[in-house]
Amino acid sequence: MGDKNESFEAKDFGWLVAMSVLFFALVVVGFWFEFSTDWGSYQQEFPQLLGHYGKVEDAREFRPGIKQIWIPKIGVTDRCITCHLGYEWSSVLPATIAEPLKPHPMNDWLAKHEFSRFGCTPCHGGDGSATTLAGAHEGGRGWEDPMLSRALAKQYGLTMSEMMQMRCNFCHRHDVATPGMDEINLAKQLVIKKKCMICHVVEGRGGATGPELTYEGDRNPELLNFAHVHGERTMFNWNVQHLTQASVVSPNTQMPDFNMTPEESRALTLMLLSWRRLPYPPEYIPDPEMAAAAMQPSPTSPPTPAPSATPVAR
Amino acid sequence: MGDKLSALWRKVSWAWSPESERESSEAIVKNFWLHWFPAKVARASMDWNYSFWLGTASAALLLILTVTGVMLMFFYVPSTERAYGSIKDLQYAVSFGRLLRNQHRWAAEGMVAVVYIHMARVFLTGAYRGTRAINWLVGVALLLVTLLLSFTGYLLPWDQLAFWAITVGTSIAKQAPVLGPTIQFILLGGHEIGQQTLLRFYVLHVFFLPVFVLVLFAYHMWRIRKDGGLAVIERVRNDRVMAPKAASKTKSYSLFGITPGTSVQVMSSTGLEESDQVFSSPDLSRRMMLVFLVVFNITLLAALLFNAPLEGLANPSVTPNPAKAPWYFVWLQELVASTTVRLGDFTVSGALLGGILLPGFLLGVLTLWPWLDGSSFRTEGRWLAPERRRQNLTFAIATLAIIVLILVGVYLRGPYWRIYWPGQPRPEMPRLY
Repeated sequence: MGDKNESFEAKDFGWLVAMSVLFFALVVVGFWFEFSTDWGSYQQEFPQLLGHYGKVEDAREFRPGIKQIWIPKIGVTDRCITCHLGYEWSSVLPATIAEPLKPHPMNDWLAKHEFSRFGCTPCHGGDGSATTLAGAHEGGRGWEDPMLSRALAKQYGLTMSEMMQMRCNFCHRHDVATPGMDEINLAKQLVIKKKCMICHVVEGRGGATGPELTYEGDRNPELLNFAHVHGERTMFNWNVQHLTQASVVSPNTQMPDFNMTPEESRALTLMLLSWRRLPYPPEYIPDPEMAAAAMQPSPTSPPTPAPSATPVAR
Repeated sequence: MGDKLSALWRKVSWAWSPESERESSEAIVKNFWLHWFPAKVARASMDWNYSFWLGTASAALLLILTVTGVMLMFFYVPSTERAYGSIKDLQYAVSFGRLLRNQHRWAAEGMVAVVYIHMARVFLTGAYRGTRAINWLVGVALLLVTLLLSFTGYLLPWDQLAFWAITVGTSIAKQAPVLGPTIQFILLGGHEIGQQTLLRFYVLHVFFLPVFVLVLFAYHMWRIRKDGGLAVIERVRNDRVMAPKAASKTKSYSLFGITPGTSVQVMSSTGLEESDQVFSSPDLSRRMMLVFLVVFNITLLAALLFNAPLEGLANPSVTPNPAKAPWYFVWLQELVASTTVRLGDFTVSGALLGGILLPGFLLGVLTLWPWLDGSSFRTEGRWLAPERRRQNLTFAIATLAIIVLILVGVYLRGPYWRIYWPGQPRPEMPRLY
C-alpha cells in the first residue's frame, strides 16, 4: 500500500505547499491593499498642520480613519472630509494651504449653510460615498451627478460659483430672487419677461402648447436631438443652443427664436437643469419672502422686481 | 535522519495515523467530514486529465460563495432606497468590503462557467450512460439553478447595470407562450421592477435557491457513490474484463488427492483490482484540498486585481444605451435581437423564437441526450470516443455558437445595439454636462 500512496503524495504535496504559500502571499497583498489608502498620508499630515498653527490640543485628539458627514434625511453620506480635513478650520488654517487640506472659504451665506446640515455633495456634486480620489471626483459610467470643477465651468464660459448656482436653486427654486445667485435671478426675470409660461407648464401652471418643464433637469439626454447642436453632446449645450435659436436645434418646433445673448441662455439653462426631483424636506426649503426681503436692502446687488402677482417660474 | 524527521513531522501533524488498511477504511467511515467518500477510489478517477476536477472546483466555488455571501448579508439592505448605498459602503467604508464583494462576484461568474465546462466534460467523455443518466439530469438542474442564482444576485446592487439587465431578462421571459406574462408578473412581483422585485430576488438569492442547490448537490454526490464512482471506472473495469488474467498457481484436489490440471478459475477480473485503487484518505482528501486551495487562490487573485462593476443608481427613466443582459444570458439577447424582423413599421419580436423556443429546444435536447445517445458501452468514460464523434461535434458547435454570440453581445455591441469592431469609434453618448 505504501508505495502507491506515496506516488500521489509525491505528486501533490509540493503543489499543496506552493498553493498555500501563494494563498499566504495573496492574503498579505489583500492587507496591503486594504491599508494603503488614498487618504492615509493626508491624515498623517493633518495633525502636524494643526499643531503648527497652534491647535496642539486638537492635533492630539485627532483620530485617523474614514470621516463622514451623514445626513440621512437628504440622503447625504459625504466622506469627502476623509481627505479634505481642513474644511472647517478656515479660522485657523490659511487659505494658501494646498488641497486637500485647504480650509473651505467662509462668508455670510456659507455660515448659514452649515456643513453638518448640508454636507458637501449637495453643492459640489461628485460621489460623496467614495474614499478614493478617482471614485469621488471622476466617478464611473452612468454618472449623473458629476462633480463641479473650475475646468467644467470654464468649458461653458462660467465661473465655478456661477455654475454652482444651479445647485443652490435645488432648494431656492421658489425664491423670486436670492442674494448671491445672479445667474439664476437673471433666469427667473427672463421667464417673466419672455413669458415662457404662455406655452410651458411648470408645477401645474402655464399653457399646454409646449412640453412641461417641471422636471426638465431629469430629462434623459439621449432622447434629445443633437443633429443640429455643435460642440460637445451635452444636455447643457443642447439647452443653451435651443434657447438661443430653437428653430435651428429642433427644426419642427413651434418655439420662437428668442435670440437671447449667450449670458441669458446660459442662465436659463442653469435654472432648467436645476429643476429635478430632489430629496430635500420642507425644512430645507427657504421661505421665498425671506429671500425677497433679503434682496431689498442690499445696495450691491442688481435691482430686482418685487414679488408680483403674475405667475412666477418656480 | 530524514526518516526521523518525517516521523517527527507525522507525530506533530497527525494525532493518529492508520496502522493497517482496515484502520484506513474505518477512518473514512467514522469521520463525519469524510464519510461521504468511499474508503477507496479508483486511480483513474484521480487523474487530472480525465475530469479536470471541475465538479470539485464548482463545489469549491459554492463554498466560497456561501461564506462571502453570508458575510455580505451583514451589510446589504434589500431596499430600493438603501441597497445601492449599502454596496457603496461595502466598496468604500467596510474593512475588506470591496475584496469581499469582488470575490463573491468573480466566484459567481466563475461558477456559471465552471459548471458549464463540467457539463461539457461529462458530455465529451460520454459519462451519462445507464444509471448515471439520473445524475446528468440532476446536473442540468444544477446548471439552471446556478444560472438563476447568478441572475437573482445580479439585481441586488440596484445600479443601472443591474436594473436594466433584469429588465431585459424578465422581458424575454414574458414572451413565453401562454404563461409568459404570468412568469414575468411572478418574477417581478408586479408589472415593473421595484421594491417587490428586489425583495423577491433577494429571498430567492439568499435562501430558496441556495437551499435548492445544497439539496441537489447532496443528491448529486450521493448518486456518484451509488453509480460506483466516476464513469472512467467503467472503462477500467471493461478493460480488466477484456484482458485475460494469468491463471493462478493452485493445486487441484479431487476426491483421491491432487490431480493434474487446474481447477475452475476466473480467467479475467470482474472488476477493479487492488492495484487500480487508492485509499480516499489521504490521497483523495489531499487532492481535494489542493483543488479548493487553487480555486480559492484564483478567485482571491481576481478579487484583488479587478473590481466588480458598479454603475450609477438605478434610474427607471434613463435606459443605458445599450442595455445588456448578464453575459451568460447575452447570447439569448443576441438571438432575440437577430431574430427580430422589421418590415417597415411592422415589427415581429424575436423574443419568442430567440428567447424561448430556441433555448427551450436546446434545454430539452440536453435533458434527453442520455436516451438519444445510441453508442456502445465502450465509449463510456472515454474522452472524444471516435464512435461518438458526431455527437461531440454537435455539442462543440452548439457551445462554440453560444460563445461567439456571447462575445459579440459583450464586446461588439455598442449604442443602439449596433456592431462596432475593435478600434472602430463608438458614438459618444450625450451627457448631462
